[in-house]
Amino acid sequence: MTDQCGTPRPPEEFDPSAVARPMLDSCREVLEELDLFLDNECGDDLAASVRRHLGHCPPCMDRADFERALRELIASKCRDAAPSGLVDRIIDSLKPASPPA
Amino acid sequence: MSRQDGDIGALAGGTVRQELGDAERQELFSREALPYVDQLYSAALRYTRNPADAEDLVQEAFLKAYAAFHQFEPGTNLRAWLYRILTNAYINRYRKEQRRPSEVSADAWAARVTEDGGGDFSLYDRIAETTERSAEVEALSHLTDEEVKRALADLPEQFRMAVYLADVEGFSYAEIADIMGTPIGTVMSRLHRGRAALQRALYSYAVERGLVAPTESVTEAATGSQTR
Repeated sequence: MTDQCGTPRPPEEFDPSAVARPMLDSCREVLEELDLFLDNECGDDLAASVRRHLGHCPPCMDRADFERALRELIASKCRDAAPSGLVDRIIDSLKPASPPA
Repeated sequence: MSRQDGDIGALAGGTVRQELGDAERQELFSREALPYVDQLYSAALRYTRNPADAEDLVQEAFLKAYAAFHQFEPGTNLRAWLYRILTNAYINRYRKEQRRPSEVSADAWAARVTEDGGGDFSLYDRIAETTERSAEVEALSHLTDEEVKRALADLPEQFRMAVYLADVEGFSYAEIADIMGTPIGTVMSRLHRGRAALQRALYSYAVERGLVAPTESVTEAATGSQTR
């Protein structure tokens, strides 16, 4: 099992001030919350911690960027337009059974 | 106030709307709800995986929504309300026509198609091994719409719906829980496993197409996506 960031992170990439402050100071902790973060489903404090970590950790930022872009890619490729005529058929079906003359 | 949010609170109060004449009611409904027809059709197509069934389902959902329009609470999200009706219509229809796959078999599926049996698979980890940083998504962007749709279609219903509602439609966990009639924890678990399985399928397609270089475990990954 490799490190969850995939790429080993050289110690010099650490920002000591960032290591001292955040609730989440390890990549593993951040990645466990990454889905919640990307889904905008974690609280402000946690979001701030994740954001702070990502700002100081290029490998985690790269992963987060990938996951976000992948969701956008999937969304962009799963859209369909309703067949022509469907709206008219729906409107017709809403009319009362015996419309006034 | 944004129409995108489906908020028609400013247009008519619930009690007022009940007193609307047929023509006015129909006019209001058509104006507010019908703009969502493409989105609902996309969802129906992901649910049913068949254009004719999807069209029937959307028509049924709009009829049901129209019949229940007086129950819609102004100021709440019309789009989410329409999705709930569509999803209910689909589930009811599916239950009648054929037995739905059980939660147990879906869970067994999730364990089988994801690597460690625990529902995990990271496309990023696979691609980052062989692709330059920042080029990972670019490589995947060459997948066709049909390939991405097929990868999604291959997920069992519960996972497919959760992933679609979250990643394509952008609904919150709470909205998805409401639309699917499940607890939020269930939504999160389905989302996690569904996304992992979807990533695994996309990875297989990308390797087959030569968009990304295979890693040593690709044969096993490709096999996993084919044995459903």
